[in-house]
Amino acid sequence: MDLGSILYLGVTFGLFVIFAAIVIRTYSRKNRDKNETAKYRMLDDD
Amino acid sequence: MEKPQYNTDIVKSFVHWSVLWGLVAVLVGVIVSIQMTNPEMNFPPYLTFGRLRPIHTNAGIFGWGVGVIFATFFYIVQRLCKVRLWSDKLAKFQLYFFNTTITASAVTLILGFTTSKEYHEMEWPIDLMIIILWVTFAINIIMTIIKRKEEQMYISLWYMLAAIVGVAILFLVNSAAVPVSFFKSYSAFAGTNDANVQWWFGHNAVAMVLTAPPLAMFYYFLPKSTGVPIYSHKISIISFWSLIFMYLWTGAHHLLWTPVPDWIQTLAMAFSIMLIAPSWGSVINGYLSMKGQWHQMRENYLVKFLILGITFYGLQTLQGPMQSIRSFSAFIHFTDWVPAHIHMGTMGWVSMVCFASIYFLVPRIYGKELYSIRLANLHFWLALTGQLLWSISLWIAGVLQAGMWNAMNPDGSLTYTFMETMVEMYPYWWVRTIGGTLFMLGVIVFIYNLFKTAHNGEKTASLAATAEGRA
Amino acid sequence: MWEKKPILLLVLATAAIMVGTTVTMIVPFMSVNTDADKIASVKPYTPIQQEGRDLYIREGCNNCHTQTVRPLVSEVLRYGEYSKSGEFVYDRPFLWGSKRTGPDLARVGGKYPDAWHYKHMDSPRAMIPGSNMPDYGWYKKNPLDPKMIQRKMEVLGFPYTTEQISALADKNEMDAIVAYLQKLGSDIPWRKAAKTTIVGELKNPFVGNKSAIEAGEELFENNCEACHGENLEGGIGPELTDIDMDDSDLYQIIYNGIDDGGMPAFGSLGTNKVWQLVNFLKSGDSD
Ligand code: HEC
Ligand code: HEC
Ligand code: HEM
Ligand code: HEM
Repeated sequence: MDLGSILYLGVTFGLFVIFAAIVIRTYSRKNRDKNETAKYRMLDDD
Repeated sequence: MEKPQYNTDIVKSFVHWSVLWGLVAVLVGVIVSIQMTNPEMNFPPYLTFGRLRPIHTNAGIFGWGVGVIFATFFYIVQRLCKVRLWSDKLAKFQLYFFNTTITASAVTLILGFTTSKEYHEMEWPIDLMIIILWVTFAINIIMTIIKRKEEQMYISLWYMLAAIVGVAILFLVNSAAVPVSFFKSYSAFAGTNDANVQWWFGHNAVAMVLTAPPLAMFYYFLPKSTGVPIYSHKISIISFWSLIFMYLWTGAHHLLWTPVPDWIQTLAMAFSIMLIAPSWGSVINGYLSMKGQWHQMRENYLVKFLILGITFYGLQTLQGPMQSIRSFSAFIHFTDWVPAHIHMGTMGWVSMVCFASIYFLVPRIYGKELYSIRLANLHFWLALTGQLLWSISLWIAGVLQAGMWNAMNPDGSLTYTFMETMVEMYPYWWVRTIGGTLFMLGVIVFIYNLFKTAHNGEKTASLAATAEGRA
Repeated sequence: MWEKKPILLLVLATAAIMVGTTVTMIVPFMSVNTDADKIASVKPYTPIQQEGRDLYIREGCNNCHTQTVRPLVSEVLRYGEYSKSGEFVYDRPFLWGSKRTGPDLARVGGKYPDAWHYKHMDSPRAMIPGSNMPDYGWYKKNPLDPKMIQRKMEVLGFPYTTEQISALADKNEMDAIVAYLQKLGSDIPWRKAAKTTIVGELKNPFVGNKSAIEAGEELFENNCEACHGENLEGGIGPELTDIDMDDSDLYQIIYNGIDDGGMPAFGSLGTNKVWQLVNFLKSGDSD
């Protein structure tokens, strides 16, 4: 493999890791409920 | 807890002006549609197709679309942050400056001062005005969010923030030009580079003006209208990050088969197809929010507009990726198919959501019940049939045209001359004018309803409290 | 984290936006419009051509006309050699367009004689009955502004001579637009390259065939009348009433055109139709 393909694979893999991290964080036990509070809070203002 | 006092006056003013620009946009739309079938309706030098079409597109996207974005965001941001707008004065300035900018754009375009770059036609002095306008808006929204009383930010605020930086970056880069005079400049980029920058801008204007802000409105007004929360805030978060990440790669799907380097085209094609996922994330989130509430489609006209809007968004984001595939693009690019795609997006998705948002706001800014729900329903049907006639006729036209352009005789020669293909378009363009006229009638009914609400609507105490910014 | 911190969210959103932007918008500057793209025969616009280009932009011709030929069979047949990146290096802005209400103009230069353009711009429908292109006859009333054009050339850094500028004084906008149209796509010698040499003996397959003559007459109305007149009496092109020519020579002229004479090539009609035209012209029947 030349440098180009390694870079390409590296970047792609890096992006995938970031995406996975966002998904895991969003759905982690710690955040699961916290991430849904906003949708109830937005309903009660008026 | 001390109740915030909201600014509803600014929302009211932006509703008024955006609706007016919306009427201008569809009126000029009908005029350019007629000019395509009846060239004698060109009145040179000012009122020719070539000069009016950009006025139609810019009035539609910036006067109507962005006008409603300003109106609704000023409303939404205060409610979601539970604080008053950061600066009333700045917002007032923005209102006057917005109308000045749109008027100046229309006047200069009619006079023929244009860069020719789509959705960025206005010459450099107006670019400067637009930059000032956007910075003013950005400061007010960001500062309001910073001093908010709610800890968590609801998804609508995320889309707003992304749209604010997104538009800023796109616009600044694509504005780069060297002025020759006050009314004329040359692009800082040449040829293929210019094309690539322009469609990086062009497609992301679709993302940052015609997708992210209407999604922010949809995510706010759908739960508000049905009274039940959206299905999943988490899905909306995942869709958000994927959407704003992927959109920027796709500009070159407007440039398939052109001299733009192949690898950019291929990336654009791949990312366009991946975009289906985050787009449909929002569509599905919308549909699932309706679980147990589908009866509201019959009873609640707001829901009708919103669900139809998101449905067109769903179709749009399937059709768009299809158009981004090289072989399909070879067929439909440059044909009348593309305007049909565009108007399913602008009339079916953006305008439907804008109508719903304004119907939601109007009672709350006048403190009165909507004058007539029957008229709102009439508006709904006029808009829907108008849009369907518009798009369906031109999809058929586009396929027919593409087929004729590519038809070959057994000896390898072309079956049709250009004119033989062009005259076949006339009947479809006529149907488009009829569809557009229906849509425009819908807008007139809409404006009449708003006017009557302001003057004859029934006052109620709770709405009045909202209108005065107390609730 | 970011759901509570708007500034952080702004920064992260900007970062997300900048990835695709960098790869697909910034990086290409390294390879596009470089020496590798250059085509030696492609020259910058002359003052009058550049002014014509600016008029094209002012009138929004790009709303109906594209200027890029894609490498697809039907498109190359209809419009000519497909477009190369190097042909656009002097275009600020680019004018590829997005909608083909009218035909592509990337290679219209040299397709018609100037006289055709003057007449067509003046009143497109007088020449092409079904056209929806607006009339631009009013261009003729507007003189050019040599000072301003000189400024434009300076800003663009294009070479020009003082004679070129002073010659603009008695030209009008129509002259400029036609000069521009004639330059389009003609910097590379594609017309000569595209000429098909017809090999073998040419035999008229329709000798004495009445329906071929009728078909030819209709083809003539649609494709030739604008230049050769309704009754073959001539106009932009010569009179064709009594042609004293072999069938095969006539065929060659129609098929390949007359390059510097302003007679376009009609090979894209296909062999059959060209033969039908030959038969019509030889029938001496002009009504
Ligand atoms: C409303 C759409 C429209 C606009 C605007 C328009 N055109 Fe056209 N144009 C057409 C159509 C349709 C044709 C094909 C029929 C014809 O030749 O008139 C055409 C044909 C042409 C042709 C002949 C091309 C060929 O290969 O036969 C030229 C040259 C041309 N236009 C130049 C211009 C210029 C220059 C402008 C701007 C000043 C312009 N057009 C504006 C629709 C338009
Ligand atoms: C754009 C205008 C134009 C169109 C359209 C056009 N011609 Fe011509 N034609 C010319 C001109 C100009 C000449 C003279 C060229 C020369 O002799 O240098 C010519 C020459 C000819 C000649 C040679 C006449 C002679 O006596 O030498 C024939 C034959 C001819 N055209 C046939 C046709 C046919 C058939 C069509 C339609 C398929 C057609 N032309 C369409 C402009 C046109
Ligand atoms: C009454 C309704 C409308 C009518 C009759 C109408 C008509 C038209 C016509 C005739 C064109 C030119 C198509 C072509 O060149 O082939 C056009 C283009 C366009 N319109 Fe509309 N329109 C309407 C509503 C809208 C609205 C509400 C918006 C935006 C919010 C909009 C945005 C656009 C855009 C962006 C284009 C450019 C298309 C392109 O670049 O190919 N239109 N419209
Ligand atoms: C996943 C989402 C989408 C994708 C992949 C997509 C793809 C495309 C493609 C490939 C084209 C170019 C067609 C051509 O010229 O051959 C196009 C044009 C266009 N699309 Fe979409 N689309 C999407 C969503 C939307 C949405 C939601 C809107 C909202 C209104 C929209 C508005 C437009 C407009 C205005 C144009 C015309 C640009 C022009 O040529 O002037 N699109 N789209």
